[in-house]
Amino acid sequence: MKIVCLVKFISDVANFLYDYEKNVLVRENVKLILNPDDACALAFALEVKARRPDTFVEIVTMAPASVLPLVEDLLRRNADRAVIISDRLFSGSDTYVTSKIIARYLENTEYDIILTGTHSLDGDTSHVPSQVAELLKMEQMSNIVRVYDESLQGKTVIVEADTDKTISKYEIALPCILSIGKDSKYKLPFVRYKDLELDVNDRVSVIKNENLSFSEAEVGLQGSLTKVKRTFARKLQSKEKTVVCNDEEGIETVYNFLKSKGFV
Amino acid sequence: MDNQTLLDGLKCILSQEQIDTNYDNLYDAAADRYKKYAKARKVLDVPVPTAIVYPRSVDEVRTLLVYCNENSINVIPRSGKTATEGGLENWKEQTLVIDGKYLNKILNVDLYNMEATVQAGVPLQTLEDEVRKLGCTTGHSPQSKPIAQYGGLVATRSIGQFSTLYGGIEDMVVGLECVFPDGHIARIKNVSRRAGGPDIRHIAIGNEGTLCYITEVTVKLFKFYPENSKFYGYLIQDIDTGIKLLREVMVNGYRPSIARTYSEEDARQHFYHFYKGKSILIFMAEGNREIVNATCAGIEAAVDKFKDGIIEQVDSKLISDWFDHLNWSQQDIDDEVQGMIDNDKHDGFTTEISANWEAIPKIYHNVINRIKSEFPRADDLTMLGGHSSHSYINGTNMYFVYNYNINCAPEDEMRIYHHPLQTIIVEETLKLGGSMCHHHGIGKYRNEWTKEEHGTAYYMLEKLKEAFDPNGIMNFGTIYPQKEGVKYQK
Repeated sequence: MKIVCLVKFISDVANFLYDYEKNVLVRENVKLILNPDDACALAFALEVKARRPDTFVEIVTMAPASVLPLVEDLLRRNADRAVIISDRLFSGSDTYVTSKIIARYLENTEYDIILTGTHSLDGDTSHVPSQVAELLKMEQMSNIVRVYDESLQGKTVIVEADTDKTISKYEIALPCILSIGKDSKYKLPFVRYKDLELDVNDRVSVIKNENLSFSEAEVGLQGSLTKVKRTFARKLQSKEKTVVCNDEEGIETVYNFLKSKGFV
Repeated sequence: MDNQTLLDGLKCILSQEQIDTNYDNLYDAAADRYKKYAKARKVLDVPVPTAIVYPRSVDEVRTLLVYCNENSINVIPRSGKTATEGGLENWKEQTLVIDGKYLNKILNVDLYNMEATVQAGVPLQTLEDEVRKLGCTTGHSPQSKPIAQYGGLVATRSIGQFSTLYGGIEDMVVGLECVFPDGHIARIKNVSRRAGGPDIRHIAIGNEGTLCYITEVTVKLFKFYPENSKFYGYLIQDIDTGIKLLREVMVNGYRPSIARTYSEEDARQHFYHFYKGKSILIFMAEGNREIVNATCAGIEAAVDKFKDGIIEQVDSKLISDWFDHLNWSQQDIDDEVQGMIDNDKHDGFTTEISANWEAIPKIYHNVINRIKSEFPRADDLTMLGGHSSHSYINGTNMYFVYNYNINCAPEDEMRIYHHPLQTIIVEETLKLGGSMCHHHGIGKYRNEWTKEEHGTAYYMLEKLKEAFDPNGIMNFGTIYPQKEGVKYQK
């Protein structure tokens, strides 16, 4: 079985520092990280590979070539191959053009299933997975919290998806695109100590526009017709506030809270 | 000899109830707190011992050691089980752990000669509680006091929080009994002092189970005057100021029972409720009233001399409260283990070194700078600092403390985090003539520097091993570097 994992590297927005004097986020020196939902997708693929060693896991990402060290880090976790789709012409592409670029690469690639994350922490539109599926003429499902990996052996795959109020079970024809959510709790394995310096260079390919043959007008800012009317930061859900007194009950409450968070 | 034959042989020496082959207990005995995270996550990479045995007498210890010596069976002496440096970790496929917990009798408390004699498995807390009833103290108070037992304390050259007044365990032990692998039982008599050749107590004290099995210990007792104790606490400019102040007090001849200074980072985790982002200096004066008064005067004079580095004095109650809650309990250890299982994190690690007054601040800053600039996982560090907690006329110790987010598989943690950090600390210490281990012992993971630690004197250490353990059955890999053990280290 061959699994393609579409992944994206994003700024580590969760660890932005906040400049309280200027009221702005400090973006300097912010690290790139693998988008958490995409990490769950790759984690599931690597779980399948761990159980069935003949599984081939290919990582596909559209990104500047500077993500190479991060991609190498993923390969050291036992992925087989990585493809970085990277060309100066692609810079500034909107989600539709990005989907076209990725889909064109995938048109000529063999796979049994494509896995992605549901959301990305930076853009959060969730356009790309469904648009790629549309272009490749296959089914796509988002918010997946569980994949019955034993079902991957047949012509369909069974999944559980979070549909807001309930968890629903679906059976989808293969090949398809499954977009995994971080509630799935699939956890990326760590790079083992012996593999920290493993040379994986021969397992990375860089795909440029000369391989995909778009005209300049089709891609990048020129080809991107999306007009952004307004952007807004997602509001964080307000946390429930508990006020306790400095007494036995209050101390117990605080202690249990800290314990639940792993601080004590 | 196969394991079954070994176990059959043990049954001829001990009763069934003294032989433990329960897998969970053997797994627990395979490593100490050095690999606490991997152990809690059930991914230890070392073999489990063949059995744990619990002798009830020195004769049973002798018979067990002779049996192992004749059959080339590795022995790990154990009592208390609070080791932190891999000294109790097992590196051999066939190993017998000899645990002293049934050697648990207080044999004598002699208030006239101010001595107490205990068997190796007596917990320090038990003896301390007994002698407190008589108005005395052992003066020994490591953080592990509620759990640690005398055999382990002596074998690892342990030290307690009141060492500046009472000394380390080596200053407390007046005599002992130990058993060598060939079955010889040596009793070192209890005298106040002697010039009868080299001080042979020191062959057993700190041997970490590599030369002999300690079965009995006689320690000094001290009169205890808790009502006279005085505490001092100060916010200070930096740890360098703290070290200068400690030196001032010590070289003027004062012996506070506690004399400590903390870096800002380390102060945050101990004194978060009053440290105000500053380094901390603390003292405790203890003893009879006249000595306490003199010690307090000495502390106050030193503080006055370095007043430019003092930011403010803190309420002494805050210091005494903190000390009252410093020791571990078994519950603390159990909670930490559960936390490691539930939360992929632990309470961090320490490396303790010592050096003279001149070198210690240099070592501290060299280490901190190197870790920040060289350690590949520096971004994962959530705390890096240190404190000095045991001072002497000619120098002090430095307890480097570091916590980190564990972003690796549990079985790789020590190689990726602790060992590279400890390597920097050891290298910088040895470079400036300090000792790489102040009071935890060498264990199995600092043995790669044992020769460098001792230099030309390693010859003497090597000869001790050849003389007392010629078959190499005693705690394979501890103190003495072994090629076969490198696979567990690198």
